[in-house]
Amino acid sequence: MRQWKAAVCAALVAVGVTVAGQAPQGQAPAAPAPAPAIDLSGYWTPTLHEDLMERGAGSEIADFGGFPLNDAGRLWALSYDPSRLTLRQHQCEGYLAPGQMRALGNFRIWEERDNDTQRLIAIHVWAQTTEGHRVIWMDGRAHPPAWAPHTFRGFSTGQFVGNGLAVHTTHMKSGALRRGNGVPQSDEATLDEYFVRHGDHLTNVTVVTDPVFLTEPMVRTNDLARQPVDPGAWLYACDDGEQVLDRPDDVVPNYLFGQQPYVREFSTRYKLPLASSLVGAVTMYPELGARLAAMTDADTTALLSPAPGRRPETSKAAAHEPSDGNIHVLAVRNNVYMLVGDGGNIVVQTGDQGAFVVDTGAGKLSDKVLAAIRTLTPRPIQFIVNTSFHSPYTGGNAVLGAAGQDPSLPGSFFVQSAPRGVTGFFSDPLAHATMMAHLNVQVRMQATGAPPDAVPADTYLDDRRRKFHNGDAIELFYERNAVTDGDSLVHFRSADVIVAGDIFTTTQYPFIDVKNGGSVQGEIKALNEILKRTVYRRQGEEGTYVVPGHGYLSDEHEVTEYRDMVVIVRDRVKAMIDKGATVAQVKAARLTADYDTLYGVNTGAWTTEMFVEAVYASLKGGR
Amino acid sequence: MRRPVLSSISAGRAASAFTIAILILVATPPVHAQRGRGGSPPAPRAQAPFDLTGQWVSLITEDWRYRQFTPPKGDVGGLPLSPAGRQAANGWDPARDEAAGEQCRAFGAAGVLRLPTRVRISWQDDRTMKLETDAGTQTRLFVFGAPAAPASPDWQGVSTASWDAPQPPVAALAFGPPAATPRSSLKVVTTRMRPGYLARNGVPYGANATLTEYFDRFDVPGGDALLVVTTELVDPEFLSTPYWSSQQFKRETDTSRWKPTPCTAR
Repeated sequence: MRQWKAAVCAALVAVGVTVAGQAPQGQAPAAPAPAPAIDLSGYWTPTLHEDLMERGAGSEIADFGGFPLNDAGRLWALSYDPSRLTLRQHQCEGYLAPGQMRALGNFRIWEERDNDTQRLIAIHVWAQTTEGHRVIWMDGRAHPPAWAPHTFRGFSTGQFVGNGLAVHTTHMKSGALRRGNGVPQSDEATLDEYFVRHGDHLTNVTVVTDPVFLTEPMVRTNDLARQPVDPGAWLYACDDGEQVLDRPDDVVPNYLFGQQPYVREFSTRYKLPLASSLVGAVTMYPELGARLAAMTDADTTALLSPAPGRRPETSKAAAHEPSDGNIHVLAVRNNVYMLVGDGGNIVVQTGDQGAFVVDTGAGKLSDKVLAAIRTLTPRPIQFIVNTSFHSPYTGGNAVLGAAGQDPSLPGSFFVQSAPRGVTGFFSDPLAHATMMAHLNVQVRMQATGAPPDAVPADTYLDDRRRKFHNGDAIELFYERNAVTDGDSLVHFRSADVIVAGDIFTTTQYPFIDVKNGGSVQGEIKALNEILKRTVYRRQGEEGTYVVPGHGYLSDEHEVTEYRDMVVIVRDRVKAMIDKGATVAQVKAARLTADYDTLYGVNTGAWTTEMFVEAVYASLKGGR
Repeated sequence: MRRPVLSSISAGRAASAFTIAILILVATPPVHAQRGRGGSPPAPRAQAPFDLTGQWVSLITEDWRYRQFTPPKGDVGGLPLSPAGRQAANGWDPARDEAAGEQCRAFGAAGVLRLPTRVRISWQDDRTMKLETDAGTQTRLFVFGAPAAPASPDWQGVSTASWDAPQPPVAALAFGPPAATPRSSLKVVTTRMRPGYLARNGVPYGANATLTEYFDRFDVPGGDALLVVTTELVDPEFLSTPYWSSQQFKRETDTSRWKPTPCTAR
């Protein structure tokens, strides 16, 4: 009898839950319960009834219709030459998350659940094209910090909302918002998505917000059909190779502003006004016809080049570095860490020997830098390398140096015969780390009157310096006349981490310090030297990590995009110089207009105009 | 020796109790079914799980060239036309349509939401949702229940609406609270359409086509609300497979841009 009662009670309780779950008519609903999970798992194939050409053969040149591009986005796309894909570093790039969902090929979606609790940890999406593996975290974890690496698919978190799955994605790389014709998506873009099932029909809504290249969010939808059996095709092999032999590595195919030779091809073929696909957000709306009717030929021509004489746009990018007065540690790989928060990025390698530190930051938070290093290793700093003499990389030399010690020196010949009083450095090695750099760093710092205990004393002159420390082979490469005449790259070979210093950042135009030996050609060469040493892991990403002087932890992709930018700006400035332009005319032409919303700065120590002046001066000086 | 016997009896009673609990649960009709016994079920308007009313503007971000302009004759993009459909598309003659007074062929139910347009959605009554377009000045009525069939097919056909949530083929049984039901979409099935065009260059759909649409609303971080209409068109005459597309609209609070225009054949 007891069991009967228990059963009835259990059943009624269960029914009661059902009733309680629905708000009685006329009463305010209770706090919304979490939306139920829907099942997305299985095999899916896109129908491709919309945008077939883009999703198949690729888009036509200058067909930017339906994209809310701002001036920078339009100019970026007009400068794009599809042959850029013949460059080795571009050949195997993955699709960005929004484009991935529009790709040809098969999709597989599956759940990852905790075996003990059965809680949903993640939803995985595998796309055949470019072998795109997305992980949508469902366990409530936070997104990574701004200085964490970006990937083509980005970092996604999801929750069930209403009748679908809502997904928010950050940390995507830069790439194509539209395949084939250069419509760009920046690394600042975020993606909001909704997945809704209607039986065996899956609708994926993508909303891309990109402050760098778009004036408003870009909304598209993808329709996928459920497949009852495994399509059996999941791979997309890609390996880069030589597609154009004997091409110098400082060539990046691009079109000068106003000189895209095929810009009229699309409009002519379909008998459309040239401006029809170039006017940005209005191309999405019913007002397009009225807008085109009001345009003159001059209005149209003006769309093909930057509006001259305007003040450069400024960056719309979010800060890639913290400004909370604290030092933040990001584990890079093996025993290598990136410390951010005090100006230039700092790298620390730990192990059985003392810490090996690359760059010391601006020196405003050196005590906190030291505290952070002590959380990574109990051993003192043994070596410090400066990649540049610029203050964001050497500002902490004195404090960090003084906190270290180099046990390899006591009793050695060098200590006994070091020129005491000159640097004061080797006089008491157990009271100081050994600081290394190219000789020109020492020369430049001494010239600026830096205190002796902040100046590297262990210098090198040749192209390469070697060190085996904490179980890793560490190489220093001299990059002559890049940002300055004393720049070094530092490569931790086993960890496969390259520290780029000021040569590469994700936050600004390169600080080409012409007065101190920098040059645009040297900068391009240095960036290509990085790319000669990187190896991607899969589909053009991960593998070798590159620590920028400023900004987020990167890999080959970000360095490639940066190299491309410097080459393209150089080409534009050079073309004007070849026509006899003055520096004022070059600046007025706004030759960086397509990059200014990413890197542009009009105030401070390194502005857009300073960068253009530096490129001009460098080229005029034959460097 | 007794313990196994007792255990067996106990286990048997527990199993019976479980069976009874399951039977009660299975026999308990869903709440929405119970309401019908004591009175009228809530009207569809009151059951609306989300608000579709208001003014929305189309976002032409896909098939842009085909939708913002009239494509060349025979240019059918990704549409899965049958040979008969392709032949009909190749025979498109806008002058003939104008002469026949059929300028609204591209503004029928299967095509009008693909055009650059604004739509206004409202409740005509508790059972009928009205969707108006300013492009072509068309009106569609979505009737919950059995709509009255017109004497002859018209451009917008007959649309039956329902709040459509996934329904399991069998009730889920589990040791725990029952699963909640996902929110519904607005499902609209339209038939008896006058033959029209899927695109302004005469890509046809026929009189026996069935249009199934799902209307969903998404509130995007940052404030925008999106209306997405997921569409399946089955046409045994002119399509070789079902044609799927999704149209997106953005909600507008400024309604001043509503500009009704007549149908055009070109």
